[in-house]
Amino acid sequence: MNRPLVVLDRVTKRFAGHTAVDALSLAVPSAVIFGLLGPNGAGKTTSIRMIMDIIAPDEGEVGLFGERGAGRDHSSRIGYLPEERGLYPRMRVLDVLVFLAEVKGVPRRAARSRALEWLDRLGLSDWRQRRVNELSKGMQQKVQFISTMLHDPDLVILDEPFSGLDPVNAQVMKDTVLDLRRRGKTILFSTHIMEQAEKLCDELCIIARGRKLVDGALSDIKRTHGGHHVVVGFDGSAGAAQQVFADRGLVKKVDDYGQYAELELAPGADAQQILQRLVGSGARLSRFELMEPSLNKIFIDLVGPEAARAAVQPDAEAARA
Amino acid sequence: MRKVWAVVRREFVERVRKKSFWVMALLGPVFFAAIFLLPLLMSTGGGVKRLVVVDRTTTTLGALVAARLDSSQRFFVVGRVPGGPGVEDSLAREVGVKRIDGFLVLSDALTASGHAEYRASNVSSLEDVGLLRETLGRLAERARLERAGVDPAMVARAQIRVSLDTKKITGGRTTEESAGQSFSLAYFMMLILYISLLLYGVQVMGSVIEEKTSRIIEVLVSSLRPFQLLLGKLLGVGAVSLVQFAIWGASGRLLLSQRAALVSRMGGADPEVGQVFQVPHVSGATALVFIAFFLGGFFLYSAMFAAVAATCSTEQEARQSQVPVTVLIMIAFFGSFATLANPESRLAVTLSLVPFTSPIATPARWAAGNLTALDVIASLALLIAGTVLVTWIAARIYRVGILMTGKRPNLKELVRWVRA
Repeated sequence: MNRPLVVLDRVTKRFAGHTAVDALSLAVPSAVIFGLLGPNGAGKTTSIRMIMDIIAPDEGEVGLFGERGAGRDHSSRIGYLPEERGLYPRMRVLDVLVFLAEVKGVPRRAARSRALEWLDRLGLSDWRQRRVNELSKGMQQKVQFISTMLHDPDLVILDEPFSGLDPVNAQVMKDTVLDLRRRGKTILFSTHIMEQAEKLCDELCIIARGRKLVDGALSDIKRTHGGHHVVVGFDGSAGAAQQVFADRGLVKKVDDYGQYAELELAPGADAQQILQRLVGSGARLSRFELMEPSLNKIFIDLVGPEAARAAVQPDAEAARA
Repeated sequence: MRKVWAVVRREFVERVRKKSFWVMALLGPVFFAAIFLLPLLMSTGGGVKRLVVVDRTTTTLGALVAARLDSSQRFFVVGRVPGGPGVEDSLAREVGVKRIDGFLVLSDALTASGHAEYRASNVSSLEDVGLLRETLGRLAERARLERAGVDPAMVARAQIRVSLDTKKITGGRTTEESAGQSFSLAYFMMLILYISLLLYGVQVMGSVIEEKTSRIIEVLVSSLRPFQLLLGKLLGVGAVSLVQFAIWGASGRLLLSQRAALVSRMGGADPEVGQVFQVPHVSGATALVFIAFFLGGFFLYSAMFAAVAATCSTEQEARQSQVPVTVLIMIAFFGSFATLANPESRLAVTLSLVPFTSPIATPARWAAGNLTALDVIASLALLIAGTVLVTWIAARIYRVGILMTGKRPNLKELVRWVRA
């Protein structure tokens, strides 16, 4: 694994009365899409704000790009899209973009030409001299997204990037995120919608009530959490499949329908071995499918039904996205 | 530094592009023109009163009064009629239908007991009544003296008016500045300082609130330190105010230089009347004092306005919370105004040393009295020290406040923010 780009080391943040983030440690490797997952109020935004140096942690340390110190020192290399979007409503689109790039340290002329390029790419060229408040919500979101990308950051931090996006723009956002990773950029994004995280993330960290529940590569998490299921379908002859199913070293539980069976694998068992044994037993298979538990199920198991309720009932707009 | 510069540029460009900036820029000269020209126009146009003199005197005094009034700029004597039954009633009707503006009833009582009567549709014009009183008084006086056998030439000499020239002494040298001029200079400097401090302070406040309510603040503070942002904002709005002053100064100067031409074109007045308002002379030193104290006051008050705005979540909230700051500026203005007549009093000296009041008090005292350079420097040094301290406190409140939403902090929390 390459050197982590973002490191949180036992970071804690307390607000009057409650601990928003509790001794959270995590490492984001470079050139991956990293998901910070958790129910509402889990501490995702607070964690991101600490990474960005918008608020200071009470305890623990933040490191970026292999150095100590949080976001502002590296702001020219980070693109940040906060959860609560906002632009100067009365400024012209192009001026806002140039200004926001300038405060990231991009020279004015370069900022201007890049802004024009991006506006063109996202179909907003005709709007560049309009005031921000004349634009639709969706267009404003695009403008804000452009402002995140103008200085060509190595690390892009997106707080709930899909919230409030219509399906078309959510698709654009998803494509852009994937394109960024293809170009070797690192993306850290937070979400409470597991379906998106499952499709996009290479690595992830699930937090609830400010604490880390699990982190690591998506595939590892799936392997170690929630167990594996296999669905087997027979084409006429089940052969000696029953013997295979009865091996408690391989199969923990079986739900046999004769022509069809659902197996829950024993801890540490390898589905490939079962497949071999079944073929060896003379069974004719029409189907052998590894059923991974969905991230959603893992999440619910980990976070608990109470917190999960908030997570599986995201706001209507986000659900459509 | 380049980041601060970007903030300065944004604040400046966005403001100068606004219509309200140019409205203000134009209103200034219009305001000046009104001040310079209105007294002239008012004293020339429209002011001539048509008058009938009802002469019941047994001497030539009535005729003398009528002639003297008619030669004045303010009255046109339509006629002189002898007194008789019903004359006054019919003249009152004439006033009613606006054929004449009023009539003056004279009798021998004028010389005997100094009594006369003026009836008109408008008797509230101090200048009209003053002129009448003076004319009647002088002529009655002369009539009495002459009746007592005093030589008319002697009377004429005795009645020569006094014209009191007032010249201000600055730094031991007599200047061409009159008392009226230094008062009006002090007054206008105070007024402009008061309005500008409020105006630009409130602009800084609006700018902070806008960034807070639009949530763009979060992106900004992830790239800039809050202090850099605050500094850029103050410098940007400050630059706008200097440009505004430059426009006002240049247009004021232009208006003054063209004043005579303007007046003559607008109805041609007696140049003497022009002295109703005395145009102050603004020296380079005065301009320097004005700008220095404006900038000091601007940074002091704008930093406070920014801190207030940072603790508020909406514009309405900010408008209520700014009251203590606004009251401070008002104290500075009215305190300076009250001590203008006596610029050496202890209160005046105190006001010009306290940083919250000195931005208005010291320039006013400079214009009205004669502060030495040392006085001004002491006052300015205190102002700068106060500004640095207040800005430091304000920046600490600002830093925490801009990211807070919801409930406004109480005093205890504010103290914690400053200490943190």
